[in-house]
Amino acid sequence: MTGFRVIKGGILSLIQDTGRLGFQHLGVTRGGPLDANSAYWANRLLDNPVDAAVIEITAGGLELESRTQTMVAITGGDLNLTVNDVPQVPWRSFWVRQGDRLKFSTPRYGFRAYLAVSGGFQTPLVLGSRATVMRDQLGGVAGDGRPLQAGDELPCGHLQHEPLSRQIPQNYLPQWSQNVVLHVIPGYQQHYFSKAAWQTFWQQEFTLSSDSNRQGARLQGAAIEAPEGKFLSEGVSYGAIQVPPDGQPIIMLEDRQTLGGYPKLGNILPLDGFNLAQCAPGAKVRFQPILLAEAQQQMRRYLRFFGL
Amino acid sequence: MTNTVNSVEDPEFKQPNAEFCYAGVDALLIEFGHEIDACLPSYLATIRQRILDSLGSVVSEVVPAYASLLVYYEPRAVRPYDLQIAMENLIAEVPWLCSPWSAEDANAPGKLVEVQVCYDPSLAPDLERVMTITGLSAEQVVAAHTGQQLQVYALGFAPGFAYLGSLPESLSVPRLDAPRTHIAAGSVGIAEQQSAVYPQDSPGGWNIIGRSPVQWFDPQRQPMTAVQVGDRIQFKAIDLATYQAIVEQGASS
Repeated sequence: MTGFRVIKGGILSLIQDTGRLGFQHLGVTRGGPLDANSAYWANRLLDNPVDAAVIEITAGGLELESRTQTMVAITGGDLNLTVNDVPQVPWRSFWVRQGDRLKFSTPRYGFRAYLAVSGGFQTPLVLGSRATVMRDQLGGVAGDGRPLQAGDELPCGHLQHEPLSRQIPQNYLPQWSQNVVLHVIPGYQQHYFSKAAWQTFWQQEFTLSSDSNRQGARLQGAAIEAPEGKFLSEGVSYGAIQVPPDGQPIIMLEDRQTLGGYPKLGNILPLDGFNLAQCAPGAKVRFQPILLAEAQQQMRRYLRFFGL
Repeated sequence: MTNTVNSVEDPEFKQPNAEFCYAGVDALLIEFGHEIDACLPSYLATIRQRILDSLGSVVSEVVPAYASLLVYYEPRAVRPYDLQIAMENLIAEVPWLCSPWSAEDANAPGKLVEVQVCYDPSLAPDLERVMTITGLSAEQVVAAHTGQQLQVYALGFAPGFAYLGSLPESLSVPRLDAPRTHIAAGSVGIAEQQSAVYPQDSPGGWNIIGRSPVQWFDPQRQPMTAVQVGDRIQFKAIDLATYQAIVEQGASS
């Protein structure tokens, strides 16, 4: 099979798809792209199935050489991609030939780019998914959860004829800023937190910490008063806002552990989580409440759009 | 909130009520009290299976823990309130047997798994620490660890990592102050009144008192994990020669 060769792995480049479903009861993390909206747009530009494997490129540095001719699509943050040293505009599909060099450098805006290829990257399936989960040592190019590194071969198909290049209409492009508002669905252990804790939470502007990763976005600010007592570990859903004893909240993301024992304020709206994934450390974060019904309506619209 | 352990014989302990909480746009958490109880794992495993059997078209995953089930559902297929009613009806039909393992049928979780462990000091970096804190001899530590059947309360932290309880109070030791960055796969740890086997090389903060030759998690194998929630475990001591023989045998096959 033809494909791409990794020249440089970059800061953190991971194969991702819709994730490893149905194994959380055994402690297996789901994984998946942190900015799923951008990842699914990349596949849509190529008429790929929604679960086709893409590369999530965090903060840049990835360098690939094409060993095939095919269409690729690039979405997400603008990481100053060049092809054979010619700058490329993101959020479109384009043709690459054998020997072409794709090079991502540092972010111009956003923080994570998504690269899709016609038909998807054909790396090994592990428990029904290609998603890389480093902590679980599952998925990715070698099946063992490690990120891309120099010398890796990324298999994919090739195309006989060049299709038309496409780009995403301007009004569908996400508007990102390093100053985000996250909508929160309360209703989950909320009564364990004091009135003062909730005031700190709603009124404060938090800063995204450089300790953040795919497991959780760590925020810094004046401490939120954490409830007394011990809590039993329980299943943790996407976007849960955990408050450990130090009062610095952690928003649990796609690579979260399946169980957790810290008290939780609520869950963020996943659509806002996608915007958070495009924030660099130092970004400012505020919270606003949203009703579950309204949040679900927004999610249904999104899921229907991508045929998920 | 307390983490007291109810004994099976405790006549005071009654069936916990199921409380439903929102957990984001696509999950409901069902809480069954806030205490670790030997009666709960088989009860939760049975409810989990019934939810998947009868609501599988709208429910994608059910994640059990000590006293809760996290139910992931499809928000386009069902409204949370309707799902809650359906699950309440279903839970009402599950008998509260208050048995530490399932009595319902042979296929249900509840099997007894014997796990061999080598407690040789060369594989037990924290044995000294455990002896110092508990005042037990090495033999007494092994006797306490192998002296009873342990219940599988939850799987999490890493694929296949099973939280086992409860150890006798005489063996209760706090977690390490600073977690280790590397623990070898198969390492057997204890923390408070819990025990676990590390399925993969990983960081971790439990006291390592031995190593098991059992491969605890293998995505290529069916079933992938040695145990599931509701099963029981009996540790059995083996000597270093037996341990090495099993490891070599495993490597060659």
